[in-house]
Amino acid sequence: MKFEHNTFGKRMKTMLHVDFRRMFTQPLLYIMVGTCLVIPILILVMTTMMDGSVSVNPQTGVETVIEGFDSTWQIIAVNSADYNPMAMDMTTMCNINLLYFFAAVLVGCFVAADFRSGYAKNLFTVRARKTDYVISKTLACFVGGALMILAFFIGTMLGGAISGLSFELGAAGISGLIMCMISKILLIGAVVPLYLLWSVIAKQKLWLSLVGSLMSSMLLFMMIPMLTPLDSTIMNVILCGAGAVLFSLGLGAVSNAILKKTSLV
Amino acid sequence: MNAIEIKGLTKSYKEKQALCGLDMTVPMGAIYGLIGENGSGKSTTEKLICGLIHANSGSIKLFDRPHTDADVRAKMGVLIEAPGCFPNDTVWNNMLLQAANLGIKNAETEVRKALKLVRMEGAAGNKYKNCSLGMKQRIGIAFALLGDPKLLILDEPINGLDVDGMRIMREILTDITKNRNCTVVISSHVLGELEKVATHYGIVRGGKMIREMTAAELDASCRTYVALQTRERNRAKALLSCKYFRVEEDESEYLRVYDSVTPEEIVSYLYENGILISEIKTAKIGLEEYYIDLMKEGR
Repeated sequence: MKFEHNTFGKRMKTMLHVDFRRMFTQPLLYIMVGTCLVIPILILVMTTMMDGSVSVNPQTGVETVIEGFDSTWQIIAVNSADYNPMAMDMTTMCNINLLYFFAAVLVGCFVAADFRSGYAKNLFTVRARKTDYVISKTLACFVGGALMILAFFIGTMLGGAISGLSFELGAAGISGLIMCMISKILLIGAVVPLYLLWSVIAKQKLWLSLVGSLMSSMLLFMMIPMLTPLDSTIMNVILCGAGAVLFSLGLGAVSNAILKKTSLV
Repeated sequence: MNAIEIKGLTKSYKEKQALCGLDMTVPMGAIYGLIGENGSGKSTTEKLICGLIHANSGSIKLFDRPHTDADVRAKMGVLIEAPGCFPNDTVWNNMLLQAANLGIKNAETEVRKALKLVRMEGAAGNKYKNCSLGMKQRIGIAFALLGDPKLLILDEPINGLDVDGMRIMREILTDITKNRNCTVVISSHVLGELEKVATHYGIVRGGKMIREMTAAELDASCRTYVALQTRERNRAKALLSCKYFRVEEDESEYLRVYDSVTPEEIVSYLYENGILISEIKTAKIGLEEYYIDLMKEGR
Protein backbone atom coordinates (compact mmCIF):
# COMPACT_ATOMS: atom_id res chain seq x y z
CA MET A 1 0.00 0.00 0.00
CA LYS A 2 1.31 3.44 -0.92
CA PHE A 3 0.96 6.43 1.35
CA GLU A 4 1.16 10.04 0.30
CA HIS A 5 4.26 11.73 1.69
CA ASN A 6 3.43 14.75 3.78
CA THR A 7 6.18 17.34 3.62
CA PHE A 8 7.01 19.58 6.58
CA GLY A 9 5.38 22.52 4.79
CA LYS A 10 2.15 20.63 4.18
CA ARG A 11 2.01 19.35 7.74
CA MET A 12 2.65 22.82 9.16
CA LYS A 13 0.01 24.34 6.90
CA THR A 14 -2.70 22.02 8.23
CA MET A 15 -1.52 22.31 11.83
CA LEU A 16 -1.46 26.13 11.67
CA HIS A 17 -4.90 26.05 10.06
CA VAL A 18 -6.21 24.07 13.04
CA ASP A 19 -4.59 26.25 15.69
CA PHE A 20 -5.48 29.60 14.13
CA ARG A 21 -9.01 28.40 13.47
CA ARG A 22 -9.32 27.39 17.11
CA MET A 23 -7.68 30.57 18.37
CA PHE A 24 -10.01 32.82 16.39
CA THR A 25 -13.27 30.87 16.63
CA GLN A 26 -13.30 30.30 20.38
CA PRO A 27 -14.12 32.99 22.96
CA LEU A 28 -10.88 32.74 24.97
CA LEU A 29 -8.86 35.09 22.75
CA TYR A 30 -11.66 37.66 22.57
CA ILE A 31 -12.11 37.63 26.35
CA MET A 32 -8.38 38.15 26.83
CA VAL A 33 -8.13 40.88 24.18
CA GLY A 34 -11.24 42.58 25.58
CA THR A 35 -9.75 42.49 29.07
CA CYS A 36 -6.51 43.98 27.76
CA LEU A 37 -8.48 46.76 26.10
CA VAL A 38 -10.43 47.66 29.24
CA ILE A 39 -7.67 47.38 31.85
CA PRO A 40 -5.57 50.43 30.79
CA ILE A 41 -8.73 52.55 30.54
CA LEU A 42 -9.72 51.58 34.08
CA ILE A 43 -6.21 52.05 35.46
CA LEU A 44 -5.65 55.44 33.83
CA VAL A 45 -9.08 56.84 34.67
CA MET A 46 -9.06 55.61 38.26
CA THR A 47 -5.49 56.66 39.07
CA THR A 48 -6.11 60.10 37.56
CA MET A 49 -9.24 60.49 39.69
CA MET A 50 -7.34 59.46 42.79
CA ASP A 51 -4.17 61.42 41.96
CA GLY A 52 -3.04 63.57 44.87
CA SER A 53 -5.61 62.21 47.31
CA VAL A 54 -4.31 61.41 50.75
CA SER A 55 -5.12 58.26 52.64
CA VAL A 56 -4.47 58.03 56.38
CA ASN A 57 -3.78 54.80 58.17
CA PRO A 58 -6.18 54.96 61.15
CA GLN A 59 -3.89 52.90 63.37
CA THR A 60 -0.53 54.54 62.69
CA GLY A 61 -1.75 57.92 61.46
CA VAL A 62 0.70 57.75 58.54
CA GLU A 63 -0.46 59.72 55.53
CA THR A 64 0.06 58.36 52.02
CA VAL A 65 -0.34 60.50 48.93
CA ILE A 66 -1.63 58.51 45.98
CA GLU A 67 0.30 59.33 42.86
CA GLY A 68 -1.20 58.84 39.42
CA PHE A 69 0.48 58.64 36.04
CA ASP A 70 2.27 61.76 34.80
CA SER A 71 1.72 60.89 31.15
CA THR A 72 -0.33 58.35 29.22
CA TRP A 73 2.76 56.50 27.97
CA GLN A 74 3.93 55.80 31.51
CA ILE A 75 1.55 52.81 31.54
CA ILE A 76 3.42 51.41 28.53
CA ALA A 77 6.98 52.09 29.66
CA VAL A 78 9.32 54.71 31.14
CA ASN A 79 12.58 56.06 29.72
CA SER A 80 15.61 53.94 30.64
CA ALA A 81 17.02 56.82 32.69
CA ASP A 82 13.85 57.09 34.78
CA TYR A 83 13.51 53.36 35.50
CA ASN A 84 13.91 52.50 39.16
CA PRO A 85 13.98 48.75 39.72
CA MET A 86 13.34 49.18 43.45
CA ALA A 87 10.15 51.25 43.02
CA MET A 88 7.08 49.33 44.12
CA ASP A 89 4.38 51.98 43.53
CA MET A 90 1.19 51.54 41.55
CA THR A 91 2.48 53.19 38.37
CA THR A 92 5.42 50.76 38.25
CA MET A 93 3.41 47.64 38.94
CA CYS A 94 0.14 48.32 37.08
CA ASN A 95 1.27 48.64 33.51
CA ILE A 96 1.46 46.80 30.19
CA ASN A 97 3.92 44.27 31.66
CA LEU A 98 0.99 42.64 33.48
CA LEU A 99 0.10 41.21 30.07
CA TYR A 100 2.96 38.78 30.29
CA PHE A 101 1.03 37.13 33.13
CA PHE A 102 -2.21 37.26 31.14
CA ALA A 103 -0.44 35.52 28.25
CA ALA A 104 0.15 32.58 30.61
CA VAL A 105 -3.61 32.24 31.01
CA LEU A 106 -4.09 32.35 27.23
CA VAL A 107 -1.46 29.68 26.54
CA GLY A 108 -2.45 27.50 29.50
CA CYS A 109 -6.16 27.47 28.65
CA PHE A 110 -5.50 27.02 24.92
CA VAL A 111 -3.26 23.97 25.35
CA ALA A 112 -5.14 22.41 28.28
CA ALA A 113 -8.35 22.47 26.18
CA ASP A 114 -6.70 20.07 23.70
CA PHE A 115 -6.03 17.53 26.41
CA ARG A 116 -9.16 18.09 28.51
CA SER A 117 -11.54 17.68 25.56
CA GLY A 118 -9.71 14.63 24.24
CA TYR A 119 -8.95 16.46 20.99
CA ALA A 120 -5.27 15.61 21.56
CA LYS A 121 -6.18 11.99 20.72
CA ASN A 122 -7.42 13.01 17.26
CA LEU A 123 -4.47 15.32 16.82
CA PHE A 124 -1.63 13.03 17.84
CA THR A 125 -3.04 9.88 16.23
CA VAL A 126 -2.68 11.43 12.79
CA ARG A 127 0.40 13.47 13.67
CA ALA A 128 3.40 11.40 14.57
CA ARG A 129 5.71 14.44 14.62
CA LYS A 130 5.25 16.51 17.76
CA THR A 131 7.40 19.35 16.38
CA ASP A 132 4.44 20.48 14.25
CA TYR A 133 2.32 20.87 17.36
CA VAL A 134 4.97 22.82 19.30
CA ILE A 135 5.77 25.21 16.42
CA SER A 136 2.14 25.79 15.59
CA LYS A 137 1.07 26.39 19.19
CA THR A 138 3.99 28.78 19.71
CA LEU A 139 3.07 30.80 16.63
CA ALA A 140 -0.67 30.86 17.37
CA CYS A 141 -0.12 31.92 20.99
CA PHE A 142 2.45 34.51 19.90
CA VAL A 143 -0.13 36.08 17.58
CA GLY A 144 -2.72 35.94 20.38
CA GLY A 145 -0.28 37.59 22.79
CA ALA A 146 0.64 40.24 20.21
CA LEU A 147 -3.05 41.09 19.77
CA MET A 148 -3.36 41.47 23.54
CA ILE A 149 -0.43 43.94 23.53
CA LEU A 150 -2.01 45.90 20.68
CA ALA A 151 -5.37 45.93 22.50
CA PHE A 152 -3.64 47.30 25.59
CA PHE A 153 -2.01 49.99 23.44
CA ILE A 154 -5.38 51.03 22.02
CA GLY A 155 -6.87 50.95 25.52
CA THR A 156 -4.02 53.16 26.71
CA MET A 157 -4.77 55.81 24.12
CA LEU A 158 -8.49 55.70 24.92
CA GLY A 159 -7.78 55.81 28.66
CA GLY A 160 -5.34 58.70 28.22
CA ALA A 161 -7.89 60.65 26.20
CA ILE A 162 -10.71 60.00 28.71
CA SER A 163 -8.60 60.92 31.74
CA GLY A 164 -7.06 63.94 30.02
CA LEU A 165 -3.48 62.83 30.58
CA SER A 166 -0.61 64.16 28.51
CA PHE A 167 0.49 62.25 25.38
CA GLU A 168 3.90 63.93 25.48
CA LEU A 169 6.66 61.47 24.51
CA GLY A 170 9.58 63.69 25.51
CA ALA A 171 13.06 62.41 24.69
CA ALA A 172 11.81 58.98 23.58
CA GLY A 173 9.98 60.28 20.53
CA ILE A 174 7.59 58.38 18.32
CA SER A 175 10.36 56.07 17.05
CA GLY A 176 11.18 55.09 20.63
CA LEU A 177 7.52 54.27 21.29
CA ILE A 178 7.29 52.15 18.11
CA MET A 179 10.52 50.28 18.96
CA CYS A 180 9.27 49.80 22.51
CA MET A 181 5.99 48.29 21.28
CA ILE A 182 7.79 46.02 18.78
CA SER A 183 10.17 44.90 21.54
CA LYS A 184 7.27 44.13 23.85
CA ILE A 185 5.53 42.13 21.12
CA LEU A 186 8.73 40.19 20.40
CA LEU A 187 9.17 39.51 24.09
CA ILE A 188 5.82 37.72 24.01
CA GLY A 189 7.61 35.31 21.68
CA ALA A 190 10.10 34.62 24.47
CA VAL A 191 7.54 33.94 27.20
CA VAL A 192 5.14 31.85 25.08
CA PRO A 193 7.58 28.89 24.74
CA LEU A 194 8.04 28.97 28.52
CA TYR A 195 4.29 28.81 29.11
CA LEU A 196 3.92 26.17 26.39
CA LEU A 197 6.53 24.04 28.15
CA TRP A 198 4.54 24.23 31.40
CA SER A 199 1.35 23.45 29.49
CA VAL A 200 2.72 20.29 27.85
CA ILE A 201 4.11 19.16 31.21
CA ALA A 202 0.75 19.77 32.89
CA LYS A 203 -1.44 18.57 29.96
CA GLN A 204 -5.04 18.51 31.24
CA LYS A 205 -4.03 19.90 34.67
CA LEU A 206 -4.66 23.57 33.92
CA TRP A 207 -3.92 24.60 37.52
CA LEU A 208 -0.39 23.17 37.30
CA SER A 209 0.22 24.90 34.00
CA LEU A 210 -0.93 28.26 35.42
CA VAL A 211 1.00 27.96 38.69
CA GLY A 212 4.19 26.93 36.86
CA SER A 213 3.83 29.62 34.20
CA LEU A 214 3.06 32.43 36.63
CA MET A 215 5.88 31.48 38.96
CA SER A 216 8.44 31.34 36.18
CA SER A 217 7.22 34.56 34.59
CA MET A 218 7.76 36.29 37.95
CA LEU A 219 11.48 35.82 37.35
CA LEU A 220 11.21 37.59 34.00
CA PHE A 221 8.89 40.35 35.23
CA MET A 222 11.66 42.56 36.61
CA MET A 223 13.68 42.28 33.40
CA ILE A 224 10.90 43.35 31.03
CA PRO A 225 11.01 47.14 31.78
CA MET A 226 14.79 47.11 31.35
CA LEU A 227 14.57 45.32 28.01
CA THR A 228 11.74 47.47 26.67
CA PRO A 229 12.08 51.10 27.85
CA LEU A 230 10.05 53.88 26.23
CA ASP A 231 13.20 55.14 24.50
CA SER A 232 13.90 51.76 22.91
CA THR A 233 16.15 51.56 19.90
CA ILE A 234 16.71 48.97 17.20
CA MET A 235 19.10 47.26 19.66
CA ASN A 236 16.21 46.55 22.04
CA VAL A 237 14.21 45.11 19.14
CA ILE A 238 17.13 42.86 18.11
CA LEU A 239 17.72 41.81 21.72
CA CYS A 240 14.08 40.89 22.30
CA GLY A 241 13.84 39.20 18.89
CA ALA A 242 16.96 37.14 19.57
CA GLY A 243 15.59 36.22 23.00
CA ALA A 244 12.33 35.09 21.44
CA VAL A 245 14.13 32.94 18.85
CA LEU A 246 16.48 31.37 21.41
CA PHE A 247 13.69 30.65 23.91
CA SER A 248 11.49 29.24 21.14
CA LEU A 249 14.23 26.92 19.88
CA GLY A 250 15.49 25.80 23.28
CA LEU A 251 12.25 25.47 25.19
CA GLY A 252 10.44 24.24 22.06
CA ALA A 253 12.92 21.36 21.83
CA VAL A 254 12.25 20.50 25.49
CA SER A 255 8.46 20.63 24.94
CA ASN A 256 8.89 18.39 21.90
CA ALA A 257 10.92 15.87 23.90
CA ILE A 258 8.29 15.84 26.66
CA LEU A 259 5.49 15.18 24.18
CA LYS A 260 7.53 12.37 22.64
CA LYS A 261 8.32 10.68 25.94
CA THR A 262 5.09 11.05 27.89
CA SER A 263 1.56 9.74 27.59
CA LEU A 264 -0.68 11.98 25.50
CA VAL A 265 -4.03 10.89 26.94
CA MET B 1 1.24 -7.46 3.91
CA ASN B 2 -0.43 -7.11 7.30
CA ALA B 3 -2.09 -3.90 8.38
CA ILE B 4 -0.85 -4.33 11.95
CA GLU B 5 1.92 -6.55 13.23
CA ILE B 6 2.68 -6.39 16.94
CA LYS B 7 5.44 -8.41 18.56
CA GLY B 8 6.27 -8.80 22.25
CA LEU B 9 4.55 -5.62 23.37
CA THR B 10 4.86 -4.78 27.05
CA LYS B 11 3.47 -1.82 28.90
CA SER B 12 3.23 -1.08 32.58
CA TYR B 13 1.53 1.74 34.46
CA LYS B 14 3.51 2.33 37.66
CA GLU B 15 3.14 -1.04 39.39
CA LYS B 16 0.44 -2.53 37.15
CA GLN B 17 1.54 -4.61 34.16
CA ALA B 18 -1.03 -3.83 31.46
CA LEU B 19 0.56 -5.80 28.61
CA CYS B 20 3.02 -8.65 28.94
CA GLY B 21 4.46 -9.63 25.58
CA LEU B 22 1.36 -9.19 23.45
CA ASP B 23 1.53 -10.40 19.84
CA MET B 24 -1.12 -9.43 17.32
CA THR B 25 -1.50 -9.71 13.57
CA VAL B 26 -4.23 -7.93 11.67
CA PRO B 27 -4.42 -8.73 7.95
CA MET B 28 -5.22 -5.95 5.50
CA GLY B 29 -8.93 -5.43 4.86
CA ALA B 30 -9.94 -7.31 8.02
CA ILE B 31 -12.49 -6.31 10.60
CA TYR B 32 -10.57 -7.45 13.65
CA GLY B 33 -12.59 -7.92 16.82
CA LEU B 34 -10.44 -7.38 19.88
CA ILE B 35 -12.08 -9.13 22.81
CA GLY B 36 -11.19 -9.30 26.47
CA GLU B 37 -12.38 -8.63 29.97
CA ASN B 38 -12.19 -5.17 31.53
CA GLY B 39 -8.55 -4.34 32.23
CA SER B 40 -7.23 -7.10 29.95
CA GLY B 41 -5.24 -4.60 27.87
CA LYS B 42 -7.48 -3.87 24.86
CA SER B 43 -7.55 -0.09 25.19
CA THR B 44 -3.85 0.01 26.07
CA THR B 45 -3.08 -1.92 22.87
CA GLU B 46 -5.19 0.49 20.83
CA LYS B 47 -3.58 3.55 22.41
CA LEU B 48 -0.15 2.10 21.68
CA ILE B 49 -1.07 1.51 18.03
CA CYS B 50 -2.18 5.15 17.80
CA GLY B 51 1.06 6.36 19.41
CA LEU B 52 -0.80 8.01 22.28
CA ILE B 53 1.21 6.13 24.90
CA HIS B 54 4.63 4.53 24.76
CA ALA B 55 5.48 0.85 25.13
CA ASN B 56 8.17 -0.43 27.48
CA SER B 57 9.31 -2.94 24.87
CA GLY B 58 8.17 -4.68 21.71
CA SER B 59 7.46 -3.50 18.19
CA ILE B 60 4.43 -2.23 16.32
CA LYS B 61 4.37 -2.16 12.54
CA LEU B 62 1.60 -0.60 10.49
CA PHE B 63 1.57 -1.66 6.83
CA ASP B 64 5.16 -2.88 7.20
CA ARG B 65 6.35 0.48 8.51
CA PRO B 66 7.10 1.55 12.09
CA HIS B 67 3.99 2.90 13.79
CA THR B 68 5.79 6.24 14.25
CA ASP B 69 5.81 6.78 10.47
CA ALA B 70 4.06 10.12 9.89
CA ASP B 71 2.69 9.16 6.46
CA VAL B 72 0.95 6.02 7.73
CA ARG B 73 -0.37 7.75 10.81
CA ALA B 74 -1.90 10.48 8.67
CA LYS B 75 -4.24 7.82 7.24
CA MET B 76 -5.61 6.56 10.55
CA GLY B 77 -9.03 7.14 12.05
CA VAL B 78 -9.64 6.73 15.74
CA LEU B 79 -12.43 6.53 18.27
CA ILE B 80 -10.99 5.71 21.67
CA GLU B 81 -13.23 6.06 24.73
CA ALA B 82 -15.04 9.15 23.41
CA PRO B 83 -14.67 11.41 20.37
CA GLY B 84 -12.31 14.26 21.17
CA CYS B 85 -14.62 17.23 20.63
CA PHE B 86 -14.72 20.66 22.20
CA PRO B 87 -17.89 20.53 24.30
CA ASN B 88 -18.94 24.17 23.86
CA ASP B 89 -18.53 24.13 20.11
CA THR B 90 -21.05 22.80 17.59
CA VAL B 91 -20.75 19.38 16.01
CA TRP B 92 -20.24 21.07 12.64
CA ASN B 93 -17.35 23.23 13.87
CA ASN B 94 -15.73 20.28 15.61
CA MET B 95 -15.94 18.27 12.41
CA LEU B 96 -14.52 21.15 10.35
CA LEU B 97 -11.63 21.40 12.76
CA GLN B 98 -10.84 17.71 12.36
CA ALA B 99 -11.10 18.12 8.58
CA ALA B 100 -8.57 20.95 8.84
CA ASN B 101 -6.35 18.72 10.98
CA LEU B 102 -6.42 16.10 8.26
CA GLY B 103 -5.80 18.65 5.52
CA ILE B 104 -9.02 17.77 3.68
CA LYS B 105 -9.56 20.09 0.73
CA ASN B 106 -13.34 20.05 0.32
CA ALA B 107 -13.84 20.14 4.08
CA GLU B 108 -17.51 21.17 4.14
CA THR B 109 -18.55 18.55 1.56
CA GLU B 110 -16.60 15.79 3.29
CA VAL B 111 -17.99 16.71 6.72
CA ARG B 112 -21.53 16.76 5.33
CA LYS B 113 -20.92 13.33 3.74
CA ALA B 114 -19.56 11.84 6.98
CA LEU B 115 -22.47 13.20 9.02
CA LYS B 116 -24.94 11.89 6.47
CA LEU B 117 -23.34 8.46 6.63
CA VAL B 118 -24.05 8.21 10.37
CA ARG B 119 -27.46 9.94 9.95
CA MET B 120 -26.42 12.90 12.06
CA GLU B 121 -26.81 15.72 9.55
CA GLY B 122 -29.66 17.13 11.66
CA ALA B 123 -27.42 17.49 14.69
CA ALA B 124 -24.70 19.48 12.93
CA GLY B 125 -25.76 22.74 14.56
CA ASN B 126 -26.05 21.28 18.08
CA LYS B 127 -23.44 22.01 20.67
CA TYR B 128 -21.46 18.82 21.25
CA LYS B 129 -22.10 18.89 25.01
CA ASN B 130 -25.87 18.79 24.37
CA CYS B 131 -25.71 15.56 22.33
CA SER B 132 -26.84 12.25 23.85
CA LEU B 133 -24.43 9.35 24.38
CA GLY B 134 -25.65 7.58 21.25
CA MET B 135 -25.32 10.77 19.19
CA LYS B 136 -21.80 11.30 20.50
CA GLN B 137 -20.84 7.77 19.46
CA ARG B 138 -22.20 8.36 15.96
CA ILE B 139 -20.32 11.67 15.77
CA GLY B 140 -17.20 9.84 16.92
CA ILE B 141 -17.59 7.37 14.08
CA ALA B 142 -18.08 10.23 11.60
CA PHE B 143 -14.90 11.82 13.03
CA ALA B 144 -12.96 8.61 12.53
CA LEU B 145 -14.21 8.22 8.96
CA LEU B 146 -13.04 11.66 7.83
CA GLY B 147 -10.10 11.74 5.45
CA ASP B 148 -10.61 8.26 3.94
CA PRO B 149 -8.61 6.37 6.61
CA LYS B 150 -6.81 3.13 5.77
CA LEU B 151 -6.77 1.95 9.37
CA LEU B 152 -9.61 2.52 11.79
CA ILE B 153 -9.20 1.95 15.53
CA LEU B 154 -12.53 1.83 17.33
CA ASP B 155 -12.74 1.31 21.07
CA GLU B 156 -16.21 0.28 22.22
CA PRO B 157 -17.97 2.11 19.36
CA ILE B 158 -21.24 0.25 19.90
CA ASN B 159 -21.69 1.57 23.45
CA GLY B 160 -24.79 3.71 23.64
CA LEU B 161 -25.91 3.02 20.08
CA ASP B 162 -29.56 2.16 19.45
CA VAL B 163 -30.68 -0.65 17.11
CA ASP B 164 -30.61 1.66 14.09
CA GLY B 165 -27.19 2.95 15.10
CA MET B 166 -25.82 -0.58 15.31
CA ARG B 167 -27.21 -1.45 11.88
CA ILE B 168 -25.65 1.70 10.37
CA MET B 169 -22.38 0.83 12.06
CA ARG B 170 -22.41 -2.65 10.51
CA GLU B 171 -23.18 -1.23 7.07
CA ILE B 172 -20.38 1.33 7.34
CA LEU B 173 -17.79 -1.19 8.50
CA THR B 174 -18.67 -3.64 5.75
CA ASP B 175 -18.61 -0.86 3.15
CA ILE B 176 -15.27 0.65 4.11
CA THR B 177 -13.47 -2.67 4.31
CA LYS B 178 -14.86 -3.96 1.02
CA ASN B 179 -14.91 -0.79 -1.06
CA ARG B 180 -12.35 1.52 0.49
CA ASN B 181 -9.56 -0.92 1.32
CA CYS B 182 -9.72 0.00 4.98
CA THR B 183 -8.73 -2.23 7.90
CA VAL B 184 -10.69 -1.99 11.13
CA VAL B 185 -9.74 -2.93 14.69
CA ILE B 186 -12.79 -2.87 16.90
CA SER B 187 -12.95 -3.71 20.59
CA SER B 188 -16.33 -4.41 22.10
CA HIS B 189 -18.09 -6.26 24.88
CA VAL B 190 -21.22 -6.62 22.74
CA LEU B 191 -20.03 -9.90 21.26
CA GLY B 192 -23.30 -10.76 19.53
CA GLU B 193 -23.01 -7.57 17.50
CA LEU B 194 -19.30 -7.99 16.88
CA GLU B 195 -19.91 -11.51 15.54
CA LYS B 196 -22.06 -10.06 12.77
CA VAL B 197 -19.22 -8.02 11.26
CA ALA B 198 -15.83 -9.32 12.38
CA THR B 199 -13.71 -11.35 9.98
CA HIS B 200 -10.93 -11.97 12.50
CA TYR B 201 -10.77 -12.18 16.28
CA GLY B 202 -8.12 -11.67 18.91
CA ILE B 203 -8.83 -12.65 22.48
CA VAL B 204 -6.76 -10.91 25.14
CA ARG B 205 -6.42 -11.96 28.76
CA GLY B 206 -4.09 -10.53 31.37
CA GLY B 207 -2.19 -8.47 28.81
CA LYS B 208 -1.50 -11.43 26.53
CA MET B 209 -3.07 -12.57 23.28
CA ILE B 210 -4.44 -15.99 24.12
CA ARG B 211 -6.07 -16.75 20.77
CA GLU B 212 -6.20 -15.25 17.28
CA MET B 213 -8.46 -16.74 14.64
CA THR B 214 -10.56 -16.00 11.60
CA ALA B 215 -14.34 -16.00 11.65
CA ALA B 216 -14.24 -19.28 9.67
CA GLU B 217 -11.96 -20.86 12.30
CA LEU B 218 -14.28 -19.70 15.05
CA ASP B 219 -17.21 -21.16 13.15
CA ALA B 220 -15.42 -24.50 12.81
CA SER B 221 -14.50 -24.64 16.47
CA CYS B 222 -17.98 -23.70 17.67
CA ARG B 223 -19.79 -26.95 18.40
CA THR B 224 -23.38 -27.67 17.34
CA TYR B 225 -25.83 -28.95 19.91
CA VAL B 226 -29.44 -30.02 20.18
CA ALA B 227 -31.60 -27.84 22.43
CA LEU B 228 -34.95 -29.11 23.69
CA GLN B 229 -37.72 -28.10 26.03
CA THR B 230 -39.96 -30.41 27.99
CA ARG B 231 -42.22 -30.22 31.06
CA GLU B 232 -40.28 -33.09 32.67
CA ARG B 233 -36.94 -31.40 32.51
CA ASN B 234 -35.27 -33.15 35.44
CA ARG B 235 -36.24 -36.69 34.35
CA ALA B 236 -35.28 -35.91 30.74
CA LYS B 237 -31.92 -34.59 31.89
CA ALA B 238 -31.27 -37.70 33.95
CA LEU B 239 -32.20 -39.98 31.06
CA LEU B 240 -30.15 -38.07 28.49
CA SER B 241 -27.14 -37.94 30.84
CA CYS B 242 -27.16 -41.73 30.99
CA LYS B 243 -26.94 -42.03 27.24
CA TYR B 244 -24.98 -38.93 26.15
CA PHE B 245 -21.63 -37.54 27.29
CA ARG B 246 -22.48 -33.88 27.88
CA VAL B 247 -25.98 -32.66 28.77
CA GLU B 248 -26.47 -29.19 30.26
CA GLU B 249 -29.33 -26.92 31.20
CA ASP B 250 -29.02 -23.33 29.93
CA GLU B 251 -30.37 -20.03 31.30
CA SER B 252 -33.48 -20.22 29.08
CA GLU B 253 -34.36 -23.59 30.63
CA TYR B 254 -33.45 -25.55 27.51
CA LEU B 255 -31.67 -28.85 27.82
CA ARG B 256 -28.60 -28.96 25.60
CA VAL B 257 -27.05 -32.13 24.24
CA TYR B 258 -23.58 -31.48 22.84
CA ASP B 259 -22.86 -34.97 21.44
CA SER B 260 -23.18 -35.66 17.72
CA VAL B 261 -26.79 -36.63 17.73
CA THR B 262 -29.84 -35.75 15.62
CA PRO B 263 -33.04 -34.28 17.07
CA GLU B 264 -34.93 -37.32 15.70
CA GLU B 265 -32.83 -39.71 17.80
CA ILE B 266 -33.50 -37.69 20.95
CA VAL B 267 -37.23 -37.36 20.24
CA SER B 268 -37.57 -41.10 19.75
CA TYR B 269 -35.40 -41.96 22.80
CA LEU B 270 -37.38 -39.69 25.14
CA TYR B 271 -40.72 -40.78 23.64
CA GLU B 272 -39.80 -44.41 24.34
CA ASN B 273 -39.26 -43.36 27.96
CA GLY B 274 -42.59 -41.57 28.14
CA ILE B 275 -41.36 -37.98 27.87
CA LEU B 276 -42.99 -35.57 25.42
CA ILE B 277 -40.93 -32.72 23.92
CA SER B 278 -42.55 -29.32 23.42
CA GLU B 279 -39.71 -27.83 21.32
CA ILE B 280 -36.47 -29.11 19.80
CA LYS B 281 -33.86 -27.47 17.55
CA THR B 282 -30.26 -27.73 16.40
CA ALA B 283 -28.07 -24.71 17.27
CA LYS B 284 -24.46 -23.66 17.33
CA ILE B 285 -22.62 -21.94 20.17
CA GLY B 286 -21.82 -18.33 19.35
CA LEU B 287 -18.83 -16.10 19.94
CA GLU B 288 -20.12 -15.12 23.37
CA GLU B 289 -20.33 -18.69 24.61
CA TYR B 290 -17.03 -19.58 22.97
CA TYR B 291 -15.42 -16.64 24.74
CA ILE B 292 -16.96 -17.52 28.11
CA ASP B 293 -15.77 -21.11 27.74
CA LEU B 294 -12.28 -19.93 26.86
CA MET B 295 -12.19 -17.64 29.89
CA LYS B 296 -13.39 -20.49 32.13
CA GLU B 297 -10.59 -22.71 30.81
CA GLY B 298 -8.02 -20.17 31.89
CA ARG B 299 -9.30 -19.83 35.44
